[in-house]
Amino acid sequence: MIGTAILQRRDRVRGRPLLYTSYAADQAILNTPAKRWWTAVLMIVVLALPFLLSRDLTSLMMTVFIYAIGGIGLNLVTGYAGQVSLGHAFFMGLGAYTAAVLGGAETDRVLGFGLDMAIWLPMAGIVPALVGLAVAPLAARVRGLYLAILTLGLVFIGEHVFKEARPITGGAGVGRSPAEPVLFGMDLHGTYHAFGYILPRDAMLYFVCLLIFVVLAVAARNLARSKLGRAFSAVRDRDIAAAVMGVPLQRTKTLAFAISSFYAGIAGALLVVVIGQMTPANWDLFLSIQFLAVILIGGIATISGSIMGAAFVVLMPRLVSELAGSVPFISTAPGSGFLTVFHVQTMLFGALIVLFLVLEPRGLYGLWVRVRNYWKAWPFSY
Amino acid sequence: MRSTARRTAAVLGAVALLATACAVEDDGDGETAEDGGTEEPGGDTGEIAFDVGVTEEPCPDAVNPDNGCIYLGVLSDLSEGPFAPVAVPITAGQEAFWARVNEDGGIGGFDVDIATYTRDTLYDPQQHSARYREIEPNILALAQTLGTPTTEAILSDMDADNVIGAPASWWSGWAFDDSDQGLILESGYSYCIESQVGLDWFAANVSEPATVLAVGYPGDYGGDSAAGVEHWAEANGAEYAGFVETAPNTIVGSQDAAVSAVMESGADAVVLAVGPAETGEIIGKTVVSGFGGQFLGSVPTWNPALLESAAADAILATYTNIAPWEGIDGTSAAHDAIRESLDGGNPENDGYIFGWVWSYPIKAALEAAAANGDLTREGLRSVVDGLEVDYEGALPAATFGADTNENAIRQAVINRPDEEGTLGVSTIEAEVTGETAEAYDYTSACS
Repeated sequence: MIGTAILQRRDRVRGRPLLYTSYAADQAILNTPAKRWWTAVLMIVVLALPFLLSRDLTSLMMTVFIYAIGGIGLNLVTGYAGQVSLGHAFFMGLGAYTAAVLGGAETDRVLGFGLDMAIWLPMAGIVPALVGLAVAPLAARVRGLYLAILTLGLVFIGEHVFKEARPITGGAGVGRSPAEPVLFGMDLHGTYHAFGYILPRDAMLYFVCLLIFVVLAVAARNLARSKLGRAFSAVRDRDIAAAVMGVPLQRTKTLAFAISSFYAGIAGALLVVVIGQMTPANWDLFLSIQFLAVILIGGIATISGSIMGAAFVVLMPRLVSELAGSVPFISTAPGSGFLTVFHVQTMLFGALIVLFLVLEPRGLYGLWVRVRNYWKAWPFSY
Repeated sequence: MRSTARRTAAVLGAVALLATACAVEDDGDGETAEDGGTEEPGGDTGEIAFDVGVTEEPCPDAVNPDNGCIYLGVLSDLSEGPFAPVAVPITAGQEAFWARVNEDGGIGGFDVDIATYTRDTLYDPQQHSARYREIEPNILALAQTLGTPTTEAILSDMDADNVIGAPASWWSGWAFDDSDQGLILESGYSYCIESQVGLDWFAANVSEPATVLAVGYPGDYGGDSAAGVEHWAEANGAEYAGFVETAPNTIVGSQDAAVSAVMESGADAVVLAVGPAETGEIIGKTVVSGFGGQFLGSVPTWNPALLESAAADAILATYTNIAPWEGIDGTSAAHDAIRESLDGGNPENDGYIFGWVWSYPIKAALEAAAANGDLTREGLRSVVDGLEVDYEGALPAATFGADTNENAIRQAVINRPDEEGTLGVSTIEAEVTGETAEAYDYTSACS
């Protein structure tokens, strides 16, 4: 990323920021000065957040990063490669339990090897990716609705297996504690001081989540503009045409599944570390649908859209409950009022998905593009 | 290529610099200083040290405006979650309990407020953990944390924050420091002991069952109960017909699978650990099909509304309810106080009494900490080991932290459905103990 940015600077014609003189410059991730500024400002803000926000909001932000990782994974298979997957929750659960077994503490109820995060985190992606590879030959044979049903089956089979595999998952209704976030011997839950300042608690975990998220997001963006990414789009737009052009369908779909499962596994493992505990019943269809909402609201086949969608889906419920106090007909006290906060959240969620599908199928990303184009052409925007 | 290498070296160097600048902060002392330090309030709060979750200012709508305020959090299931019908009265019972404490002058010159930081977490670990982190900076302890997996989700945070709490669940794990780090102050038996006491009583007073069967939700509730049934069968030479795992009707639609499993088992005694609606369905359908066994139901299987259901006759004929303490008609001083708090009315269900009784250990801990002059979180946590709790007769006095096998409460109350009873049941026998339950080697969580 930095490489292309610098390359671009060398190729740039002074005073003509949008004139590209090479393919690489045109294809760079941050190909305009505005994008570079935005990214820099965003990174500074995000790095400063744990020092500014209270602890609950910091962990909410971590959840945003993790949902973004999961969302990007689903976007790769569903948005870019066009393979509708409802099985995302299963792969997330798989990643979470791989991590918990490798990195968790052993008790008389559950297995745990107490390994370092440097081992359990990659494994939390690799194991689901391998399972994704195993499932993909089946999934690659069907498409559309049939694929949705097939992946739906995965969620139910997975939930059942998770419930029964007690030494691994702790069993239904009890669950188990997650992997310990100890990276190279450093406990990320601990309190640290740097340059004489005491870092807020969980700040290290926040920075590590942020780093993993940025690395995976950039990797996904690079993948999307590579040969494989173009093959994904070709398969999505018309698989027969893609095959005629020489894109190997089976291999492309399989890879899409495996990569998406890798992302899901990492997201699942980190999510439980932030939350503290999940039971097998939490890896259910609703979680998969939440991730579909992330990419539908954020924007299909865009990485930045997935991030916006994740922020939206994670932060919206909190926003609603914060606002509930000032809206008279929403009750925050149990058993009173016309609507509870949870009613409003669920209804808003559904309504927003419908509205985005109907009015702005490109999602939040599409809205952003419109706003951007309006101001780009201002005052001649019409 | 060369510039890439140089850049990599620079980045690595920066990381190394950063790493050397970071150092681990010792647990404990560093954090407390950050939390605002210890204040020494004057006036009637005396010489009690306090910091997080305790204020010199009175509570909102204080009973004693001259007192300071102790804020306790409640994380419950108050609207749409699966346990809302019982969690709402539980919370109401706790409100009433602490209102009485405040009317009696509060604790160490402080009133107790649980309403300000009551949050609905829908029995969802994610919500539970998020809400905990939201209220944590403002509370001293948790007056209620409902559910087993939800409480486990916040346990490591509670440990780091030195926050103790009262659970709203009867999981066997809460009795062991291994599972709860000594932070959870549970009351009464666990489901695992419950099913053993129930079967002991059944064998002594109804008939010795040759075959026993457990039906329940897997996990902390049904799984715990089934572990007790299995142990009882082994200890008494009865045949254990197995654990029929089922789930709430909202998930599985109907209990038909459980019903046919019960029919096939031919068990003499079936121990149920399901919800009230599922209890009614299983008993109604099996009795109609000619099942000849009897049913023992765990605490949460009961709801007075079952006597108005189609299964009422079958329930009256075959169902016995096991409870940790007496219902609304109980005879202890605690029960007198409960009835007084209700002004002659009736609660929706027994949840009110659960909430009330579950509150005693936190009250005892607050009193002990106040007596030590240290109402900080550390001070409160330090009194848990060896804490003696007086339940005003609702339960025998309990001791925390010491040997569980010795101190665990192994007594129950046996109730029968009764159309004349206040909440649809009348007590047959209180303070029931059993040989198997007494002899059970209680050294780790059952499920």
